[in-house]
Amino acid sequence: MSKTYFDETHCAIGHPKSTFMQWMLTVDHKRIGLMYAAVIFTFFFVAVAVAFTMRLELFSPGQQFLDPDTYNQAFTLHGVIMVFLFIIPGIPAVFGNIVMPLMIGAKDVSFPRLNWFTFWLYIFGALIALSSLWTGNGFADTGWTFYAPYSLNTNTNVITTLVAAFVLGMASILTGLNFLVTIHRLRAPGMDFFKMPLFVWGIYATAWIQLLATPVVGITLILAILEKTFGIGIFDPSKGGDPVLFEHLFWIYSHPAVYLMILPAFGIMSEIIPVFSRREVFGYRTIALSSAAIAGIGYLVWGHHLFTSGMSDLAKVIFSFLTFLVAIPTGIKFYDWVATMYKGKIILSVPMLWALGTMITFVIGGLTGVTIAMVGADIHLQDTYYTVAHFHYAMLGGVVFLFFAGLHYWFPLVTGKMYPEGKAKLAFYLNFIGFNVLWFPMFIAGYLGMPRRYFDYLPEFEIYHRIAFFGAIIFIVGLVYMFYVLIQAWKNGEASGTNPWHATTLEWHLPSSPPPLENHTKVPYVDFRPYEYHHGEPVVKFDYKTMKRID
Amino acid sequence: MSHEYVPEIATSRDGKEHEVQGWQGDFYGGKLGFWLFMLTEVMMFGAMFLVLTYYFSLHHADFLEASSELNRVLGGTNTVILLISALTMGLGLLKMRNGDVKGAKLMIWATILLALIFLGIKAVEWTHEYQHGVFLGLDALQSGNAHSKPLGQILFFGMYFTMTGLHGFHIIIGIGLMLWLLKRINAGKVTTEHHILHFNIALYWDLVHLIWVFVFPYFYMIGAGDIAGGVINAH
Amino acid sequence: MLTNYKTLKAGYYKVLIGLLVLTTVTFVQPHMFLTGHIFATQIFIGLAKAWIILMYYMHLKGEVLIGKTVIFSVALVTFFFLVVVIDVEHFQFKDASYIASHEQSDVSHATSHED
Repeated sequence: MSKTYFDETHCAIGHPKSTFMQWMLTVDHKRIGLMYAAVIFTFFFVAVAVAFTMRLELFSPGQQFLDPDTYNQAFTLHGVIMVFLFIIPGIPAVFGNIVMPLMIGAKDVSFPRLNWFTFWLYIFGALIALSSLWTGNGFADTGWTFYAPYSLNTNTNVITTLVAAFVLGMASILTGLNFLVTIHRLRAPGMDFFKMPLFVWGIYATAWIQLLATPVVGITLILAILEKTFGIGIFDPSKGGDPVLFEHLFWIYSHPAVYLMILPAFGIMSEIIPVFSRREVFGYRTIALSSAAIAGIGYLVWGHHLFTSGMSDLAKVIFSFLTFLVAIPTGIKFYDWVATMYKGKIILSVPMLWALGTMITFVIGGLTGVTIAMVGADIHLQDTYYTVAHFHYAMLGGVVFLFFAGLHYWFPLVTGKMYPEGKAKLAFYLNFIGFNVLWFPMFIAGYLGMPRRYFDYLPEFEIYHRIAFFGAIIFIVGLVYMFYVLIQAWKNGEASGTNPWHATTLEWHLPSSPPPLENHTKVPYVDFRPYEYHHGEPVVKFDYKTMKRID
Repeated sequence: MSHEYVPEIATSRDGKEHEVQGWQGDFYGGKLGFWLFMLTEVMMFGAMFLVLTYYFSLHHADFLEASSELNRVLGGTNTVILLISALTMGLGLLKMRNGDVKGAKLMIWATILLALIFLGIKAVEWTHEYQHGVFLGLDALQSGNAHSKPLGQILFFGMYFTMTGLHGFHIIIGIGLMLWLLKRINAGKVTTEHHILHFNIALYWDLVHLIWVFVFPYFYMIGAGDIAGGVINAH
Repeated sequence: MLTNYKTLKAGYYKVLIGLLVLTTVTFVQPHMFLTGHIFATQIFIGLAKAWIILMYYMHLKGEVLIGKTVIFSVALVTFFFLVVVIDVEHFQFKDASYIASHEQSDVSHATSHED
């Protein structure tokens, strides 16, 4: 039995003998990615529990068991955990770390010790955020968007949360920096940019957003902290400060942040579709460049979060136009994926089910985004459940569903085991049905005027909340069941072999499953495209001892 | 250990050998990584200049008035000091590359000294302002009291203390980095052959200087125009 | 050992002189030329200094990839500036807004407002 990355590791400090310290100090990108996964999904379930509490409260109009202030803290906590602790680190921290270096034939990222430091910085930030639950006046109650002037005046733990968000932002920046240098410097010989797998393109575009957009929110948070502490005046109207400026600065980051969330997810889609259609991807270059285009144009559209804020009409028109523009590269991706499936041999394995399900839910999420990009429509729909449903369809039904698809796709790679297909399919259907029953009624409720972040509502909206509640039950059962199946499979599942999906990208050409510590036996010379199939079978074959091509 | 790293060779199908770039010993990678980090600083200070410009547009005359109250002599002296410190830092790196480790260390010490003088002058400036009642938390920069400055001036000074404060914070970090660099040189970890750390810290210092190149005119010089008849005649 | 040590060293000093000259210009400009456009001129001089520092002290001259990343970031910040300044220049509610309606160019005095 050859050694895997679970048996040996490199450490940042010294050569510890205990298994525990080896995990605490490991610089191996595969172990770090795994640790991120454990922590991130724990936080995910905490935030889901908070959301379920909100759904319970909203089951009927009037107060059930939460008072209004606690309700405000609940949706803030849900948002802060989901955005800063779960979805922004999300796919880059887990699969960017584990899979990306394998895909480019590297032995690790460019700065492994920085990677280790970044993980613990993330943990530190998370602890700061969660500590504010039990100190002072409790968790912030401003919403995860911290709008001035309320965030300046409220006496809940806003500063603590801002500090936490800053630290977490630093971790995001450093991850992006590490990945950028890795992708520029450590690609295997022969692998130029247009021979990289599309997941790497997704991570690359994401890393640029992580690097350049996050500092803007970093300084915004610092300015807000200084405003609360020293009263510098920039967001405080009584001193001539403009709260709309806070919104500008906040969304200059937070809008690109959503592209940061979806681009790695689209990368996962681009990996799964060719494998389970047994065909080369259609429009490789267009998909790659569309990732860059989404990242680039995505920096320019933040104002659509400010349409009802008192922004000038000229600015509104500019932003509406740019928002429509950024939908185009996404549309191109979808057409390319569908074209890849056309005349392919579709295999409905679990990763493919998740990918196809996402196509439905993300298209709904994306198109409803285009609706509210229209200034006139947005005046009516802003801050209603329509917006909430839109971004949950996009983030949950887009990013998280593809995250789950990635979990099922790369599960054999990471663990060396395979999960039972029937049970995993059942989990998918529970999730998919539950998700849609939970969220679709909210489009209607929002259109009819149900405001977001409201603790109470008029009786005419009760039916939508009731339906959503039942959807939530099904969805949560699905989520728990899905993770149960995966964890059981890790413990007791059958060995999967190194390439159970007969895929073509380099992460499947490892000598053992799970992979050895040093990844490929030898770095191969890459003179092939990433998705070469011939009659449904991969073209490129390797001798795994020498990593020379034998096809 | 990065010094013992031997790069792998990958062979293509036509027999040609290609050296594999590993993450160890990658000078260009270290340089690229640090430049990317500096871009985050550009975005951060850029956003602060954005806030400043936003309020400059909204409160034009107040900004010019407030600017004229700043001490251009002290600010200007600091500009020259920082400029010379950029030279000493650069010469230090040059000497290190040339094998003159002793000379390099001397130049780093000179940079640290100049940085400390910069901070000292800044402290004098801030003390003067405090003594004139212009400081964060004091009446002049609160609204609605007898000493309140006009709104635009409150915002100007709020941003002045914030930005020069953050810039000063970066200078302190720079001094810390330089002291650490000296320690690493003494330990033999930074040498003429392996000096990426020195290279990057010199880059960092240049960035700190670069930020001041814009901070100084934006705060100190915009109000330097002539005052004629009670109305400031500038821009 | 560097073969062109003396040339490189001279280069550093030349840049220093250039920057010192530009700093002197910074000081005298508000009284000597373009006195009606102090802000724009000062920023322009700053950009000239920044260019020299970037190219020669920070060795950006000749760096292709890094140069492109710097240009992209600066372009991005410039876009943010332009849009936000356009927005505030077209502030539709200026007359009714508390924060915009108190332009004063006199020497500072107490501003108490009843709303």
